[in-house]
Amino acid sequence: MAHPTEQEFDGAARCRSERPAWATAARTLAGSGRGAAIASIAICALATLPVGCSKLLPTQPAPGERFDQPLDGLSNGELGDFQLGQVQFRRAFTIREGLGPVFNSASCISCHSGDGRGSTENILVRFSRGTDLIPSEGGPQLQDKAIPGAEPERLPAGVDVSRRLPPPVAGIGLIEAITDSSILSHADPGDADADGISGRPNYVAAASYVPADEPGGGVGLKVGRFGRKAQVPALLQQVVEAYHQDMGITSSYHPIENTNPLATRVVPGLDQAADPEVEDNEVRVVTQYVRELAPPKPGDWTDRRRRGEAVFQTVRCAGCHVPTLHTGPHEIDALANRDVTLYSDLLLHDLGPDDADNRPDGDADGLEWRTTPLWGMRIQREFLDGRLLLLHDGRAHSVDEAVREHGGEAAAVRAAYLALSADDRAALLDFVESR
Amino acid sequence: MSPRGRRSLRALAAGVILAVAAWAPPARASGLRSPELRGSDLHSPDHPLGPLRFGGSVELRFGDDRINGVSNTNWFSFSRINGFATAPLGSWIQVAAQGSWDRTMDDFTLERAEAVARLAPTLRAHAGIFLAPLGRSNLAHDAPRDEFSEPSLVATGLVGVPNAELGAGVRGEARRTKAWPFTYEVDLVTGYDDGLIYDAPGGTRLPSGRNNYGDKNGVPAVAARVAFHPSPRTELGLAGQSGIYNETTIGGVTIDRSRWVHLIVADGATERSRFRVEGEAAVARIDVPPGLEALFAESQRGAALSVARTLLDPLLRSWKDVSLTGALRGDAVDFDTRIRGDSRTRLSASLNVRYRAFAVTRFGWYYEHRRDRFNNDTSVAGMTVSAASYF
Repeated sequence: MAHPTEQEFDGAARCRSERPAWATAARTLAGSGRGAAIASIAICALATLPVGCSKLLPTQPAPGERFDQPLDGLSNGELGDFQLGQVQFRRAFTIREGLGPVFNSASCISCHSGDGRGSTENILVRFSRGTDLIPSEGGPQLQDKAIPGAEPERLPAGVDVSRRLPPPVAGIGLIEAITDSSILSHADPGDADADGISGRPNYVAAASYVPADEPGGGVGLKVGRFGRKAQVPALLQQVVEAYHQDMGITSSYHPIENTNPLATRVVPGLDQAADPEVEDNEVRVVTQYVRELAPPKPGDWTDRRRRGEAVFQTVRCAGCHVPTLHTGPHEIDALANRDVTLYSDLLLHDLGPDDADNRPDGDADGLEWRTTPLWGMRIQREFLDGRLLLLHDGRAHSVDEAVREHGGEAAAVRAAYLALSADDRAALLDFVESR
Repeated sequence: MSPRGRRSLRALAAGVILAVAAWAPPARASGLRSPELRGSDLHSPDHPLGPLRFGGSVELRFGDDRINGVSNTNWFSFSRINGFATAPLGSWIQVAAQGSWDRTMDDFTLERAEAVARLAPTLRAHAGIFLAPLGRSNLAHDAPRDEFSEPSLVATGLVGVPNAELGAGVRGEARRTKAWPFTYEVDLVTGYDDGLIYDAPGGTRLPSGRNNYGDKNGVPAVAARVAFHPSPRTELGLAGQSGIYNETTIGGVTIDRSRWVHLIVADGATERSRFRVEGEAAVARIDVPPGLEALFAESQRGAALSVARTLLDPLLRSWKDVSLTGALRGDAVDFDTRIRGDSRTRLSASLNVRYRAFAVTRFGWYYEHRRDRFNNDTSVAGMTVSAASYF
């Protein structure tokens, strides 16, 4: 077998044929004995490099500093599921793999930045005519992207439109595990205590494919808890719908492709992947993954934040942003029977006409929104390129702006906030932004 | 730029390339080696080793690679494996085959299955499957010659090295003056295919459309490279490829118009004093179908610059063919120039113990920032030990 010549392989002008003066000098140095010493030192240094240079490698982020970390206390098997699910959550589907024909994003992670909130660039647009989700017109969600040959959807005229930022998914398993009774204990649909804050659950039916043994599944009305209007009762349903509506990926739960019903023409064979485009197991591991995501930890307590927390209670922010709810029994021990400090009652509240989308969703009317959990507020900017995008459509860029946008049931709270001294207001904002 | 403007620019570029190639008179062969002349040295059937020649190279890699501090459990891999065979069919024609597997690209590439004919002492015609002349890194990427175990981001992220295509063309060397000899290659090739969109996860990726061995749209792409040699130790190259990448019909139904992808690659290499400097930069323009512009990039760019210095030659007095080289490289690629994210930047360093041109053992380190479309940073770094050799 022949050794290849330089010419045979690439013939590139490697310019090694003539020895330059510096090389001659190096040869002289090597010949003097100093070269051998230098070489010995270099080789020893090379050998110890991997051990001695651990500072040249990145370190793991501290627990609670990201949206994509697992809950404390997961078993080894659950951690294995978590890792499998994380791979699928980050998987970007290609057109050849079934993306589309109409879609919003190519992966879960491309909507939930770092498993956190989405941005205004990938905001979801949901539309309907009243409570009619008008699938015949492309509802309930606008898919604004399409593979070649397909037509992206356009908003029909005269529909009710709701623009919604994808919410963080961290902590969603804890929200699932919170008992109905814990949520309902804060409900006051008739405002019996006359504090101006009512709060009621969004009772919704789970999709037929959600089995009864799945939390939120089975027949009958359930307490909705996922989505901006708590319009989804089961985590599995939320994941399946995201595959189908957001990415155009079919599963056995939703085996029929989502298409643009108003397209001017239909080209058969555009979507080249066979249905279902993902196995049930992939949907399940993603469901399990988001279920096992830990919410970020709040910031350290300071005197000002303690004062802010007291103000938070005094001005009755905590009337809706209830600090702590409780989970019940759960097959995952890390989710079972624990306090969940999420700062939300998971109930619907009327936030007034300025914040309204005027689009009903389930039992929620066009003025109502589910109280958004405040956990993870501290690191939101880090995962949105320095931006803070608050409220359902990201219109508020600071907590102060978000509070000022509150109306309806929160009008009195907003008035109390505006009446605060500058120090108290700063303490309150510091407290909220540290959650 | 309007479609008419683009057509004019392409026609102008093609005209300039062909005019330069035609204007340059054939010149005597010289010792200057350039990527255009790869595989064109026709050895005679009475070579001591026989008419059929074969060989290859292999690279092993051990590494502690960490993503956000979490170690990758795949600490050992065959990074690159390459095999070739050549045979003369006569005094003026030769056939060659070459294939490789590359860890970074995670696929097998048939790099060469071509016939090369010597038309003149410094002019060859070739046809078949061959490496597209898209910069030095695509033409010359044998693992034992590289100073780093990881190819540059421009190579893997933009050009898609190794990038082989089906086609035909000419390559050769010419001298207008002794001071400015140049080499050239002009080919009609299949070009990138629609994989750059259809197989690209989460955004445009040209490498997903490379290694196109069959043109589905029926329109060849033009690929060319011109390399100037202002001194025996310097080469400056400019390469480009332009072609239609998509299919416009499915089952006889027109689904889209023809869409173009343009890639320009500039490269250079020089040895000055005690250093060797190499660089490569690339710019890509992609005509993205409507409805996909928000996700798929229409413009990409990247660059890499490396500096290598031979520290000791020989490494030991008794190791006359062994040298010690230090190398540093910075490289970056922006997969979507419209947004702040979707990019990668990397710094690499390597100390290499090299046995002539045939084998190298590298002790390397790299640190990379990968930014997603939200501009979130993922830190990836590693300490590596790799060994590569021809066989």
